[in-house]
Amino acid sequence: MVITCIVAPLALAAILGFAFATGGSNGHLTIGVSGTSTALVNAAEHATQLPPNVTVRQIATGSTLKKEVANGTLAGGVILSGPHDKLTNLLIPIVDPGASHSPGFDVVSSPSSLSGQQWAESLAAGLASRFYAGRLQPGSATDRAAISITSETLGNAGRGVLNYFAPSIAVVFLFVGSGLGMRSLLLERSTGTLVRMAAAPIRPNRIVLGKLLAIFITALVSILVVWGVTTVVFGADWGPPLGVFLMCLGAALAMSGLGVFLTSLAKDEQGAFGISLIVGLVLALLGGNLLPPGALPRPFQILALGTPNGWALVGFGRLSLLGEPTSSVIGPFLILLVIAAITGALALTRVRRMVRP
Amino acid sequence: MLACEGLRKQFGDRTAVDDVSFSIAEGECYGLLGPNGAGKTTTIAMVCGLLEPDGGTATIDGAPAGSLEAKAAVGFVPQELALYPDLSATENLRFFGQLYGVGGQRLERRIRETLELVGLTERATERVGTYSGGMKRRANIAAGLLHEPKLLILDEPTVGVDPQSRNSILETVGHLGIAVLYTTHYMEEATKLCRRVGIIDSGRLIAEATPAQLISDHGGQDRVRLTCAPDCIDSLAEACRHLEGVSAVNVLEGGLELQSDHGATVLTRVVDTASRIHAELTGVEVMAPNLESVFLSLTGKELRD
Repeated sequence: MVITCIVAPLALAAILGFAFATGGSNGHLTIGVSGTSTALVNAAEHATQLPPNVTVRQIATGSTLKKEVANGTLAGGVILSGPHDKLTNLLIPIVDPGASHSPGFDVVSSPSSLSGQQWAESLAAGLASRFYAGRLQPGSATDRAAISITSETLGNAGRGVLNYFAPSIAVVFLFVGSGLGMRSLLLERSTGTLVRMAAAPIRPNRIVLGKLLAIFITALVSILVVWGVTTVVFGADWGPPLGVFLMCLGAALAMSGLGVFLTSLAKDEQGAFGISLIVGLVLALLGGNLLPPGALPRPFQILALGTPNGWALVGFGRLSLLGEPTSSVIGPFLILLVIAAITGALALTRVRRMVRP
Repeated sequence: MLACEGLRKQFGDRTAVDDVSFSIAEGECYGLLGPNGAGKTTTIAMVCGLLEPDGGTATIDGAPAGSLEAKAAVGFVPQELALYPDLSATENLRFFGQLYGVGGQRLERRIRETLELVGLTERATERVGTYSGGMKRRANIAAGLLHEPKLLILDEPTVGVDPQSRNSILETVGHLGIAVLYTTHYMEEATKLCRRVGIIDSGRLIAEATPAQLISDHGGQDRVRLTCAPDCIDSLAEACRHLEGVSAVNVLEGGLELQSDHGATVLTRVVDTASRIHAELTGVEVMAPNLESVFLSLTGKELRD
């Protein structure tokens, strides 16, 4: 139980943290630039606001640049092609790197270096924006100090991944953990310890509530521990603490109720184990817990709102990704409470039947 | 201490317990003897408050069965080994003792005492999962005694246990001095332990008395089993029919079975007769009536499957 509810989600959070918390880029990156415009190539080579581990190097030809990207010498590259004096076809660059390429600025990247691709795109966008600005003010496009490279996006993108996936995966484990808690009750029934408890001078309702409370507390502690560790150790930002706590509480209640109810339908502990894993996985897929935000097709995004974990992600997403205040999660929290009330009542009925004569 | 009146329990079309009435006095050991499926466990479940009876009543020390007062007075030792295998005996007892409201120093003292009573003191801190079957059964009993109950209910506590552990358990139970309801399908246990025995079959209590009384009333006669050479069977059977004290002679495969009120006395005459007619006896056994023969006499069935 401790392994499933605390160690496993912590381990996953640790993996995510180490993978994304530092932005996902390790070591020195070299971005190559080549092209017909000497001025632009020079401007790129001396671009300001580059982090210490990223340098831009001039490459003689486009084909050489492509070769060096392919063999890993360069993390990525930008080929300036075509007559840049003619700007009629130049599109307004997009500030957010990676959204699209400007014609005449060909980004060359390798699948093995996501960071290299992102820096190359950023460089291309920077060059294009400066060139476009330079058109309005002739001559300024060759200003070597005027190329700006945005460095915020990549770094935040890594931590943003952690901010999303840490609560996302923790929520999935709430279901698995509560299912295992219910499994332990079935195990107690088969080993006879439940009978011994029922024969003791304790009201059956107390046994039921005690069991359900233990499952809920374990679930709540599980998600709070993941929150704490990812925040303190990996610098994740789940959002305003009160809002995050409300979502943790709501998610723990709803997922516990659902987990106990569904698992109680099993005939024995082996069946309970299977249900908790399979249903947990299905819920995770339906709710979008295992995919980046917005990756689900639209119909599935609507379907996700039929799951408690889907609503949990709505709340956590508002806090961490959109930076909204605590008040924005009151709605999802209340919905989770309703789900908890319904599933909890069903779970209580099932468990009571196991304990009472 | 325990008074059951007209207990009845039905599961669908099947009547598991049908109008069972019996009582147990303070300090008395009462046996409920019957084969598997006779209704023993169902009866116990109603007495312990684990099942609601469909009819009848059960009271423990004046409190209705199933009430908190009644449950506090009962120590229940189920047929299953109702212990947590990953906890030690001490940890198990501590947990179950707390369920019965035993705490603090009293709990620690009772844990020591019950473990000593069942002979598990040296293994007290080891995981119950590592125990032998007999040790688990003894730990199971210890858990039922922890809160010093007025009535101890044991549901077939020696099933699957080696003879040594079985004797140890019987000895422990025999010296408790509290009221005991003991269910079993082993007639030796019922004979050895119980002051009174109720014989239950197909949900009905068909006889109830001391073992000696039951045997006297329903056990029938002594049976003398003889094995001899096949060519001697007929002549020996004919000779034994005329012997004093022999009420019936049955020819079996490989020998004879004689019925008599005094098997030991008749045996001497049988041996003399066999010698006289030159019939060589290869085996002789005298079987006194017991609870098994009582059960057979009352139900027409064997006590064990």
